[in-house]
Parts: sequence; C-alpha cells; structure tokens
Amino acid sequence: MDRRLQGLEEAFDGLDIEPSRDGGKRLLVDRGSVLSLLSALVDRGFDHLHMVSCVDWPEQKELELVYILSAYNLGGSFEEEHRDVVMVGCRVPRNRPVAVSAIRLFECAEPYEREIHELFGVRFEGHPRLTPLFLDRHYETPPFRKDFDTRQYVEDFFGRVPPVGDGDGERT
Amino acid sequence: MRELELYFGPQHLGMVGNFSITLKVEGDRVLEAAANPGYLHRGFEKLMEQRSWIKNFPMVCRMNVIEPDSMEMIYAMGVESLAGLQVPERAQFVRSIYLELARVGSHLFGLWAYANMLGFDTVAQWAMYHRDLVLDLFEELTGGRVYHIYIWPGGVRRDFPEGFEKRLVETLHSIGGCVPDYNGTFFENRLFRDRARNIGTVTREEALGMGGTGQVLRATGVPYDVRKIEPYAAYDRVPWEVPTREDGDACSRILVVRDEMIESVHMIFKLLDEMPGGDVYNRIPNPFKWRIPAGETYVRCESSRGELGLYLVSDGGERPYRAHFRTPSFPHGLTVLEDALRGESISDVGNIMISLYVVAPEIDR
Repeated sequence: MDRRLQGLEEAFDGLDIEPSRDGGKRLLVDRGSVLSLLSALVDRGFDHLHMVSCVDWPEQKELELVYILSAYNLGGSFEEEHRDVVMVGCRVPRNRPVAVSAIRLFECAEPYEREIHELFGVRFEGHPRLTPLFLDRHYETPPFRKDFDTRQYVEDFFGRVPPVGDGDGERT
Repeated sequence: MRELELYFGPQHLGMVGNFSITLKVEGDRVLEAAANPGYLHRGFEKLMEQRSWIKNFPMVCRMNVIEPDSMEMIYAMGVESLAGLQVPERAQFVRSIYLELARVGSHLFGLWAYANMLGFDTVAQWAMYHRDLVLDLFEELTGGRVYHIYIWPGGVRRDFPEGFEKRLVETLHSIGGCVPDYNGTFFENRLFRDRARNIGTVTREEALGMGGTGQVLRATGVPYDVRKIEPYAAYDRVPWEVPTREDGDACSRILVVRDEMIESVHMIFKLLDEMPGGDVYNRIPNPFKWRIPAGETYVRCESSRGELGLYLVSDGGERPYRAHFRTPSFPHGLTVLEDALRGESISDVGNIMISLYVVAPEIDR
C-alpha cells in the first residue's frame, strides 16, 4: 500500500480502504469523519482536490459524495506511487441529505458544493452561499437525481407550447 | 464614493461566450465579483445516463466548443478504463498528434479572443486564419471541422489518409513561419505588455489553493502538466518541455499559451518521426449491446486549458450510471476569476477573464 496512507485505518473507525479499478485507492468513511479524513490526507501530501462529485443510489436510499484528491507534489519527482489518485466516498441519506462543507480545507470545493446542492439537493453546512449556480427555476425533485424524469419534464414543460398555426386562425 | 452593481455580460463586447459577471464597483475599482454561469447548461451529464456508451461521443465533444477533442479523449479513456480495453501503439501516436493539433487550434482561437479584446484586430484575424488552416486538416482527417468524433474506445476511427502527414507538416511550417510576425506585432509589443503586465495576478499559493492547473499554474512557475505526471497516449515516447513563466499575471499566462503552441508543433514533428505502423483500433464488442462491468473510475488528461478529469460510474449496464467532468474552466472561471478580479479596474475585467482562458460551455456542461 502507498505509504502515505499507512496508519489511516487505525486512526479512523469504520474506514474502508480498497484499491480502485484504475490503480488508485478508494476510501469509504462515515459522514461525521469525512472532514477530518480529508484533513489527514492533506497533511499526507494530497493537497489537490480535483472535484467533488455525487452519485444517487435510490435503492440504498443514499447519495454518495465522492472527493477526488491527488498531490501537486511540487518539486518532487512523479514516481509511480505519487501519481495515485485517491477517492474518498461518504454516504448521506437521500431523505435528509446534509454534509459538512470542505471549503475550510479546499477553496475550490465551493462551486462543486454549490453544484451538488442545486442538482442533488445536498445541503452543505458551513457553506457561505448555497445559491443556485446554473438553473433559474425551482425543481421539486433535484434534477440530477435518478427519479427526476428528464423526458417527462421536457414534455410537461415544453409540450404545453402550442405549435405554430394551431391557434384560432389568427396566424394565417 | 458610491458602490454600484454592474452587470458584465452575457451581452458585452469584452465577454467571449455566454457568461456573465456581476461586479460590485466603487468608481472604476472592482470590490467584489460574482460569476454567473448557467447560460449554456444543457445537463449533458444527465442526458448521458440515457444514452448507450458509444452514443455519448457526439455529446461529450459539445461540452467544449473550442477544443472538443480532449473531451472525446477523456471519455474514451474512461470507457477504456472501465471496460479494460487496450489501445494499439500506432493509435496512441495518432491520438497524441491529433490532440496536439487540437491544442494548437484551440490556442489560436484563444489568441484571437485575447488579441481582439485588446484591440489588436490584425493579430486576431491572423490567428483566426491560422486556426482555419488547422480546421482544414481536421476536416480532411475526420470529415468535421469543429466536432470531429474521431477518438473512440480502443483507438481512433481511421488512420491518416494518404499524404496527410506531408500536408500536416506543411501547414504547421506555414503557421510556424509567422511566429516572428506574431512576436513583433503582438507578444513583444509594448501595448500588449503594458496592458497585460501585473494585471489579474494569481500567485502560486493562490493558484494551488484554488485548484488551479494549466496556464494559471504554469504562469506561476509550476511545471504541472498531466501529460508529464501521468503520461497517456504517446506523451512519454518523445522528449518535450513544459513551458512556464514566473509572474502569474495575464502577460505570463498568454506567453505560456504561445510557448505551448510552439512546443506542441515541435512535439508533433517528433511524434511523426517515431510513429510505428500497425492498426489504429482494437475491435470493441457490438456497441448496441455493449455492457460494461460495474465499477467506477477517475481518469485525467491535459486539455488546452488545464487538467481535465472524468469521474465515470457503471452499474454493469448499457449506459453510464453517472458521468461527471472536472473541466479546467470550472475552478478557473468561478473561484480563480472571482478572486483575480478583486481590486482590479473595470477596463481589465475582459482582459483578466480571457487571460484565464475560460470557456463558458465547459463550466455549464
């Protein structure tokens, strides 16, 4: 195992480290300790947050937040093990999706958390502006969740626009 | 003095692309800036969940209008990683040459936008003309000028046509022959230097803290480039350099763009010399019935704007379960831009935004 990850399993209860398919590492942690795990990873050199992503798992009634990290490794050589990308997963319940904001550790998490709040409905505690990033309408179901039917939405929303020439004859 | 709110874009001469910034200004100083993306939000990542693995290729390239090729590449890399596909050696070289050509085309477009914004219309027209010559090559190779859909899982769609390499070299020589003209008229011109120096400075610490990559980081002296760190395609088969600058201002970023263009052209020549023979694609399963084993992957490559990543999840089905792109313009156009604009003059807003090389559709997706 990458020596930068040694000792993490002992330090975090319930932390699960497994190799991911592409040669990196996959860490799964409770939502309560995600921030302290990220902080421990920063101390171990994983100082580059690539992105925060979210996956909807409706059958498990959970949303999974995925933090993807690697090292900028300034001035160091990029040996095989320093290339590793680490994914940190953290599951939150779908009906009460609350997580802690990672902005304190990574400034660039701000727009990603805004995006996830808007598209998946996850609320990030400690985030200074959870305002909409892309959309200008309010959606009852956050639009990137699996139960949001895009086709039905298009039909409901745009299907109501009457076709040209189908009115009361005024357009002829 | 009174504080005012000023809307910059989406309809503004200094704004390239569908994007706007809300500025809080006092006099002509920017106190605060809030980026407003979303004008091009098409929900591609959600739409991808409804289309088969192969049908998503025409979709992903539309996320970045100016350089669609690295979007094809990253999606192909994601699918290959999940499906465990190998790519023949010749295809790796073809991919690298194709992506470097795309980088040159994209940088020329970026130079057009930047020169145009500063009022260097002649240089802008040169750059646009030279980009068109690159597009001619793409048209010959792929049939499309803007969207090419050339890379696919397991390789590329077709080999170079007969005589293509010769025409590629000729075109690059004719563009490269104009570098002294570009230098004399633009890059060494005092008007450019005075307008761009010490403008929109992002220090190394700031860039690292805000997830900066690409020119934003390389303009602060950090040689961070995914092509070197985690070589993909054929980038580790030939020697090449990562151009950097030290000052972190708009001038440094634009000079890094120029140096990268020149480096890319040299790299293409070296790759052509080393190119092996053989097939350019491996057979893939019937794309209409293609199921990819369940799993997740994160792949990354270096687009012309910085680090491009893709988080791709499969549930074992015929479609992606989830796709999420880490586009370089996302941190650059939101976090870095808002920070870099603080304290600057209104007349430099367009200058800073374009020097950060932000492409709006890439943010919105």
